[in-house]
Amino acid sequence: MEIIPGVTINLSMIVSFMVKISMILFLILSIIMVRQESLMDKVVNLPIGKSLKILTWGYFLFSFFVTVIILLA
Amino acid sequence: MLLSAYRWVNLVQLDMPEVFKAENVKAESEEIKKLLSGGFSGRSFGSCVPRPHKFRFEAQQDDETVLLLGRRHLVTNLRWITMLCFAFVIPFVWGEFPFLKALDGNTLVSVTMLWYMGLIFYGMQSFLMWFYNVYIITNERLVDVDFVGLLSKTVNVAQISRVEDVNYTQKGILASFFNYGDVIMQTASEQRTPDTVGEMSAFTFESVAFPDKVAGVISQLTEEAEKPWK
Repeated sequence: MEIIPGVTINLSMIVSFMVKISMILFLILSIIMVRQESLMDKVVNLPIGKSLKILTWGYFLFSFFVTVIILLA
Repeated sequence: MLLSAYRWVNLVQLDMPEVFKAENVKAESEEIKKLLSGGFSGRSFGSCVPRPHKFRFEAQQDDETVLLLGRRHLVTNLRWITMLCFAFVIPFVWGEFPFLKALDGNTLVSVTMLWYMGLIFYGMQSFLMWFYNVYIITNERLVDVDFVGLLSKTVNVAQISRVEDVNYTQKGILASFFNYGDVIMQTASEQRTPDTVGEMSAFTFESVAFPDKVAGVISQLTEEAEKPWK
């Protein structure tokens, strides 16, 4: 399908665009999760809370890394 | 706090009788000690932890002792864990879906990464919701902490002395087999909060382990609160 002259839009391009948008959404959700975990830990202060904080930060960094790779690819 | 510390120092120096030192602090009775000593699990991930180690909650008073910390039974997580296990293997059979067959290699890799990122997010979110949705029984109050989704929380607090009625229910094969159920408490001022949709009371401890023992502890505390000079 050639909507813009010289640019052919195919299924892969559309899916790829949607994946990129979803990746950014997950990145935003992961930073919200980090914040939420921190608030939860404040309300209910359990000894394991610090490890969970590291886990959520780890997930955020992982998703950041993956999102950057996908966006640049 | 400074005032109470100063008063405590003075009382110790004057060697006052014990009854004057413990102005507001209620000592743990033998019945409570007996109820808390048997049957509960003591692990951090336990569904019912008596006297949790190094645990504090928001708005905990200095003279307040946490007697029991609980959350939903571990078995209640089976649903999302099973879903995750199924979802984990789906990318292995993606070749069977005609829509995905039409995608090029790079896009398919991106879709797979997105899928696993979503799965990890869902797993972590479900775990956090289970881990931090706790109920706390102290020597003075009942605290029900409910986190709903990522952005909302409801904390219900009731004085032990205001609890009027305690009962518990166990429904289903899993609940009977693993000994968990709902503990429902009716308080004097029954206020409905957003987290209580479908619940019998604002103070419903859902799917708690050992509901009989939890109800027993609360009943005993209520009974003791009614007799302050005991």
